[in-house]
Amino acid sequence: MDELTREFLIESQEGLDRMERCLTDLEERPQDAGLIGDIFRSVHTIKGTTGFLGFKRLEKLAHAGENLLGLLRENKLTANEPIITGLLQLLDGLRLILKTIESEDAEGEGEDTALIARLEELQQPAEAQVKKPAHAHAGGHAAKAAPPPAPAATLPAQPAPVPVPVAAPVAAPPSDIGPAQAAASAPKEPESEAARPRTQGSAAESSLRVDVTLLNRMMNLVGELVLTRNQVLQATSTDPNMTLLSRRLDMVTADLRESVMKARMQPVSNIFSKMPRIVRDLSQSLGRRVRLEVEGQDTELDKSLLEAIKDPLTHAVRNSLDHGIEPPDVRQAAGKNPEGMLKLRAAQEGSHVIIEVSDDGAGINVEKVRQKAIERGLITPERAAHLAERELLQLVFLPGFSTAAAVTNVSGRGVGMDVVRTNVEKIGGKVEIDSRTGKGTTLRLRIPLTLAIIPALIVRSVNQSFALPQGALSELVHVPPGQAATAIEWIENAPLYRLRGKLLPLVFLDRLLMPGVEHKIATERDNFIAVLDADGRRFGLVVDGLADPEEIVVKPLSAVLKDIGLFSGATVLGNADLALILDPGSIAMKTGVTMREEEASQIADSEADAGKSLEYLLVEAAGRQAAVPLTEVLRIEQLPLSRIEYIGYRPVLNFEGQLLPVEDTGGVLAAAQADPEAQIIVVVCREGNRHVGIAVSHVLDVAAGGDLFEAGTAQRTGGVTLLKNRVTGVVDLGGVAPLPANEVAAAEWNHAEEAVV
Amino acid sequence: MSATAVAVHRKDKAAATLVEMCSVRLGATLFGVPITHILEIVGGARPQPVPLAPVFVGGLVHYRGDVLTTVSLRQLLGMPPKEGSQDLLVLESSGGNFGLLVDSVGEVLTVSSADHEPNPSILDERRRALFAGAYKLKDSLMVMLDPEQLDPMRLSAVLAA
Repeated sequence: MDELTREFLIESQEGLDRMERCLTDLEERPQDAGLIGDIFRSVHTIKGTTGFLGFKRLEKLAHAGENLLGLLRENKLTANEPIITGLLQLLDGLRLILKTIESEDAEGEGEDTALIARLEELQQPAEAQVKKPAHAHAGGHAAKAAPPPAPAATLPAQPAPVPVPVAAPVAAPPSDIGPAQAAASAPKEPESEAARPRTQGSAAESSLRVDVTLLNRMMNLVGELVLTRNQVLQATSTDPNMTLLSRRLDMVTADLRESVMKARMQPVSNIFSKMPRIVRDLSQSLGRRVRLEVEGQDTELDKSLLEAIKDPLTHAVRNSLDHGIEPPDVRQAAGKNPEGMLKLRAAQEGSHVIIEVSDDGAGINVEKVRQKAIERGLITPERAAHLAERELLQLVFLPGFSTAAAVTNVSGRGVGMDVVRTNVEKIGGKVEIDSRTGKGTTLRLRIPLTLAIIPALIVRSVNQSFALPQGALSELVHVPPGQAATAIEWIENAPLYRLRGKLLPLVFLDRLLMPGVEHKIATERDNFIAVLDADGRRFGLVVDGLADPEEIVVKPLSAVLKDIGLFSGATVLGNADLALILDPGSIAMKTGVTMREEEASQIADSEADAGKSLEYLLVEAAGRQAAVPLTEVLRIEQLPLSRIEYIGYRPVLNFEGQLLPVEDTGGVLAAAQADPEAQIIVVVCREGNRHVGIAVSHVLDVAAGGDLFEAGTAQRTGGVTLLKNRVTGVVDLGGVAPLPANEVAAAEWNHAEEAVV
Repeated sequence: MSATAVAVHRKDKAAATLVEMCSVRLGATLFGVPITHILEIVGGARPQPVPLAPVFVGGLVHYRGDVLTTVSLRQLLGMPPKEGSQDLLVLESSGGNFGLLVDSVGEVLTVSSADHEPNPSILDERRRALFAGAYKLKDSLMVMLDPEQLDPMRLSAVLAA
């Protein structure tokens, strides 16, 4: 059994256990939307994962259950006794198949038609009222199965009569015990079966699985130990007899803390590595062509956070494939590479780990989102009319939202994005979505380094300690006593500091934290300015004092305190004090610090420039330089000359069945003809809605082109540009003749081409 | 817990359910918190204040490796702050654990559900939203506090409304 399947089994078991708990609660509170949501998610997750693993039978069953649960979730049905019984039967059915998978690594050949039919019946409101759960027992396949009491005994939590819809897997173990006996022992058997591969496959005897909750507990205990150590150190500092002992305690504690921390860190490749298979299987079943790119695999993240983002990430990938990347023919029609690109990127940025899932698909149609949100009653039409594009995009995170035209097997129930956000926010992260119609969508998960250690500077203000993440800190300025009044300058009530001749906006931390109180700049003592850079917004934070930098353990704040919007967490300092962790980005936002106007204008300038003058790809073809407009360049291919084929005289490239005309005005192909091993370079460009290739000998550079004016008329010249102070011809992509439409036309085109060349 | 065992024992004798309440003193009023929701009682807590926090937040405390948000019952009820140390009840609610800061924690009292009455109508609206009725004791009244109602997240919603 491979790792993926094993983990799927563990997870599914957990999901089903949770479902069972929820189901029993549901009997008492049939209207509880939260419970139904939980159950739905459990089944949805199982269904989703089984799809990739190829367990068709399990997927079918889960799908049937999901349909029923979907109706419950949308309040089209109310959970009643028969429905709950039906769902419990579904639970058992799923469990049985999982057990079979665990013991045999296959889902067995049993039939679930009776159960599926039952679940479908329950979707009819009237049926659900009248029919008795007894139906499942009457199912033809189940009839010859073991007597119900046997499994019931192994699953004592079952309140309803336990159906046995699956006969085959029970009888499948190759033992000589009778069917009834097999049924009774089947649930026990898999355990020994499951234990075997683990002991057998103990090649990695040096490693061992540890429960994450245990690690969490160890982490917390170590934190406690650190605090106790600090107190012991303080209490014994005057006793020379204890010095040696306390020093030893100090060292051991530090080592222990480090080891536990390390034990919890895992590279994101642990979850990224699961994606290729998911992408492959999914793109096959959806008829997409997708290339997966992965970046930043070795970014490390705390195990529990990694666990927490696994599901959201899977959902995001599925969404990209199902809703984002279009089928190859649609892509081709839109002038895109028929092969879509899905990119996973992980990187640490300051106190966050950023995980991005981006695709180059259709993007999100904002208008559609608006309509759908109104249609589903998630938002009023008046409000929707006022929302900006960015805000509209956020609507996709609302529960029950989905823009997919049809509910497919993969996604489109609107559960995906809502799960993504719930799970990420649960661990204190943020989800951002960015989409451009026709260009693609990027989903960005910002995961805080909660539990991870970050270096921070401890600062003092309003008689409290605060932690300032070092990541955002660029420098510290000391304002000696007596100089504060002159060093800090004002434009009306905006404080500024001249940092190396440039004005730096200042934020007084005490004024920010206690806005109602009158504050005076204390000139008689030291002042410190922490120069911060939060995403390009530079400002100085004025604090009363500095303490030592410390490696702090970030603890999440409760939602109430997170809402203040200045603190990203809290931490316990070495002296057992608590300190709030300041969030430079939010402080900048709250105090209205934006990007410096001159910096912003510089960026605007360069953007404007880019709009005015085109960038060109400078190429060389047989000794002559030529320019290709960079915006039209799709990619650059290096390939053996033998790949070039000919229709008549026309060189063409066959890209997986798609024909690309190759322009060879420079005679590169002819020149290379002598050498059979020759490699040639083809610049693939977009021309209107078709693609053309330009054969070149070298790609030299990318440069901005300058305009040239004809002497005398002062008219802008076409077809040439000034590149690196040399007048360079621009390749006329429009002049590349289209490929012949059919055989008959081919001859004519060849003629025409000869005339052109 | 032995306390629950006691409750179960007595249940047989009386028709009404018996509940064990941890009595809490705040100014002149006696409050009660069901002990089933109390994880721990910490004496002499010194919470770290949080600037700009909602008025009912008593600050942060360090509790077994976690940072807990505390609700100050005094601040919640608009009473003047008390000098010196306070007692902290670590409570469990569906929204997570949080702390409740009170003047002092008293003994555990067993009260009968028969003696429970809902909030009187003359209480102001805010208190009606915060209290969960009262128990009539022999010589006084004990205001019942429901941890679910005191959850910081819910409080900020209730007080904002």
